[in-house]
Amino acid sequence: MRHTWKLLSLLVVMSLLLAACATPVAAPAGAPAAATQAAGEEAAASGEAIKIGALYGVTGGMSSIDEPGLNGFKLAAKQINEAGGINGRMVEVVAIDGKSDQTATTSAATELIEVHKVVAIGGLNDSTFALAAGPLAQAAGIPFVTAGATLPTLPEQIGDYFFMAPFGDDAQAYAIADYAMNELGAKSAYMLVDQAYDFTTALARFFKERWEANGGTIVLEDTYNSGDTDFSAQIARVKALDPQPDVLFISAIPNEAGITTKQFREAGLAQPILSGDGFDTPLIGEVAGELADAVYYSTHASLDNAAENVQAFVSAYEAEYGRKPENAFAALGYDTMNLIADAIRRAGSTDPAAIRDALAATQGFQAVTGVISYPEGERKPTKSVTIIQVQDGVYSFAAEVQP
Amino acid sequence: MKGSTRNLLVGVAYVVLLGGLLWLAQSTLNNYYLRILAVIGINIILTVSLNLTNGFTGDFSLGIAAFMAIGAYTAALLSLPVAMKTASFPGLPEWLQGIAAPFLPATIAGGLLAAGVAALVGVPVLRLRGHYLAVATLGLMVIVRIVANNWQDVTRGARGINGLPPVSNIWWTFGWAVITIYVVWMIVNSPYGRAMIGVREDWLAAQARGVRLLRTRMLAFTISAFFAGVAGALWAHLITAITPSSFSFVITFNIVVMLVVGGMGSITGSVLGAVLLTLLPEGLRQVETALASGGAPVYGLSQIIIALLAALVMIFRRQGLFGGKELRLPGMVERE
Amino acid sequence: MFTPTYVVQQIINGVNLGSMYALIAIGLTIVYGLLRLINFAHGDLMMLGAYLGLLLLSATFTPLLLTLLIPMLVIGFVGVLVERVAYRPLRGAPEVTMLITSLAVSSIIENTMVMSVTAQPRAFTLPPGVNQLHTVAGVSFSTLDVVTVALSVTLMTALTLYIRMSRTGIAMRAAAENLRAARLMGIDINRVVMVAFFLGSALAAVAGWLWAAKYSTVEPFMGFLPGLKAFVAAVIGGIGVIPGAMLGGYLLGFAEIFFVGFLPPAFSGYRDAFVFALLLIILLIRPNGILGTATDERA
Repeated sequence: MRHTWKLLSLLVVMSLLLAACATPVAAPAGAPAAATQAAGEEAAASGEAIKIGALYGVTGGMSSIDEPGLNGFKLAAKQINEAGGINGRMVEVVAIDGKSDQTATTSAATELIEVHKVVAIGGLNDSTFALAAGPLAQAAGIPFVTAGATLPTLPEQIGDYFFMAPFGDDAQAYAIADYAMNELGAKSAYMLVDQAYDFTTALARFFKERWEANGGTIVLEDTYNSGDTDFSAQIARVKALDPQPDVLFISAIPNEAGITTKQFREAGLAQPILSGDGFDTPLIGEVAGELADAVYYSTHASLDNAAENVQAFVSAYEAEYGRKPENAFAALGYDTMNLIADAIRRAGSTDPAAIRDALAATQGFQAVTGVISYPEGERKPTKSVTIIQVQDGVYSFAAEVQP
Repeated sequence: MKGSTRNLLVGVAYVVLLGGLLWLAQSTLNNYYLRILAVIGINIILTVSLNLTNGFTGDFSLGIAAFMAIGAYTAALLSLPVAMKTASFPGLPEWLQGIAAPFLPATIAGGLLAAGVAALVGVPVLRLRGHYLAVATLGLMVIVRIVANNWQDVTRGARGINGLPPVSNIWWTFGWAVITIYVVWMIVNSPYGRAMIGVREDWLAAQARGVRLLRTRMLAFTISAFFAGVAGALWAHLITAITPSSFSFVITFNIVVMLVVGGMGSITGSVLGAVLLTLLPEGLRQVETALASGGAPVYGLSQIIIALLAALVMIFRRQGLFGGKELRLPGMVERE
Repeated sequence: MFTPTYVVQQIINGVNLGSMYALIAIGLTIVYGLLRLINFAHGDLMMLGAYLGLLLLSATFTPLLLTLLIPMLVIGFVGVLVERVAYRPLRGAPEVTMLITSLAVSSIIENTMVMSVTAQPRAFTLPPGVNQLHTVAGVSFSTLDVVTVALSVTLMTALTLYIRMSRTGIAMRAAAENLRAARLMGIDINRVVMVAFFLGSALAAVAGWLWAAKYSTVEPFMGFLPGLKAFVAAVIGGIGVIPGAMLGGYLLGFAEIFFVGFLPPAFSGYRDAFVFALLLIILLIRPNGILGTATDERA
């Protein structure tokens, strides 16, 4: 008999769990009563909040760039609401944690679409997750704007409901390669590539492609894996090169940006160091200090940029979160939300298909990270690339490159 | 009626019942819940099959993510449409480029290859026991992952494979889950299973009674790897994008926690652990999301609560929720 | 290309990395010897040590030595606390049960850190002038490298002497040999285990501090990989045997550096695969690790 009781209590617990999962999440305070899921058109009539999904890996491996991204995203939504919303309706951001895990990210995407009935989704800063979640939004006909995944082939691979807010890795790799050749007069390059990430390998691939196409030579290509703390073996190989390369291209994620710079400089290698937006982190200056010299990287925006909208964003972010934007992904998150809002405004409707069409028609949208326009039939923006120079540990704007 | 015949009939009745429930779910639930259900199916396969080595045979293997990866990559390479292969895999052997296999054979091939690797690796690795075996299998996982990261022609390295046909659904995952449970149950209740439990309880005595240690453990290891490979294939076609980092320690640990919380050495416990620890994080995440919309972001809390619960179960019920016991389905007759 | 200076340079790098692995591995191995527990939270204690060090370093008035000593003490007590709360109720439970609990503890610590200090990597820099680069006959090394090796060797010697000579140390060895018999001999097991956790965690804090200083960065997940590799080191050396942990740590450090340093660049990416392949080979030749004694190892 005891056995039966145990079984029964288990069943009760399980059904409670299922029930807990199946109950739609109650509407938060502040938002109009939105517990019942209404279709877009009905909602428009009643003036209830427009639901927009924010999908980020706020915990786990991606959190150091996804958390600032979500903060930027929410800040934009807050400002939109303070300014009266979109076409008179408030915005409600439904932010789900993808836990930097593919299974959790895909369930979160489905939850946004099926349970919360969002009209558009933004977020994700890595192609691994965008490639898993994007097709779900595509199949459901919900526009998805990736805030920071820079793999240039993403929109082609996923479909016509998938948009990129950032430029592609090709653009940023070409920009830094051209800058090094034209402005720094470099002819030969050394490459150090983190093998662990899609992003770092893609960036290196595009850099090499451009560099060689323009007549430059790659003297040595070396690799490491994210998490390595010691680059002395790789450095020793560079030092043994004769003649020495003109520039050092390091394809790394933020965690390794400071340490590689420091170790290369300590070893007496003084050539300019080049990289992409993986180097966009205060760690270079903090870790390498005065050794952080002649470092050039391409990225989305310079937060020192005097442009009004950039400074407004920086001060608003600081006022909201008590710290400066951690990195460019905060600005990208902010731009993503505003880009979606702009499309909804122009569409004059919250119908996902109409939002998609409006997104695709985006021209000259003034974002913190540059001007976003989608060329006819493309969903990867033509967008200027910013080159930042670090000298004596101080970051400064070096150039803006139009692709 | 003979006990076994009766059990077979009752078993079939339960499968029909499960089919009915799935059909009900399919026709009433939206894609989100169907997706969670599909994940539950996959986790049941993984947990039940891991139970064969870790629970019944007492070999603590942490290599599950390695076998999943092998199954996932194999199935993905077989099922990918030909046009995509020629575009994305110029380095692939010709014969493989021309194939776009249906899902079932691709899944089975994934399982078989995983089992094959297990058999190959098992010969040296199964000479180890205990924590040494745990570390060795963990090492296997790292090696598989790094090979996937570097073998550009076949795996596309860190870029991974994406755009897989999204064919995985509750029917496939629960279908395979039923097969897994049936096979593991049959093994455990066969002389082989007795031998496995013997190896776990006292290998010396088992050996003295004529149990061939290596063969018994190898059987458990390969069968477990087969189903892990199948689960990997199912997972790959659910997520549709795989990279080497998809198969990390995290997956292994999650499954081990499901197994131990459910109770090692109990199939019922494995199933329950898989269901519970798939649903609970999902439910808690909804709470997180609701709190975040209310202005109090507490992302990370769900992981902490799950960890706390797992620790509490371990402290107050160290044998896991089900201990070594099985839930007897009403109507089944005990075979002894 | 492999000039003598280059080889010496790689040896220095290997000793350095090995020292850190050894420090972490010791804590794992002492605890394992007593309780048969693979403490997955060990790497997280290392991370906490690094963060505490960073906190103290950013307060400019703290003397440098104290930024190392205070984390040692505090993290030592954190280790004791974790044992008291999470592991003691499990005394005598199956090893897997304890392993799962340590995974849970690890997850709790990591997520708490992500929630409280965010996952942003932070710079861990020593006061200016402390860490200088020296070059002797073409071989370069930093003050930190010297400190790392000297400190590790000192601490390991002290620990070895303590375990050999002191009453608690002897009790610890007795308990590792046979927990039940030791208890029957009147040894206070709880005390022995507490001391073991204190020592192991304090060493992990030192390793964390050194690791952070070398890598110049701290982040909440920094302890995972070193913790795992240290466990591998402990197993290579023979888990439960303290000299084994040291030997394993250095072997692993050398293996990693040499593999990257002396093979063509194309192989650099295979570093961790190589490390684990080496582990498998060692285990196949010596199933109980290099210094381990053959025991009836049961899971």
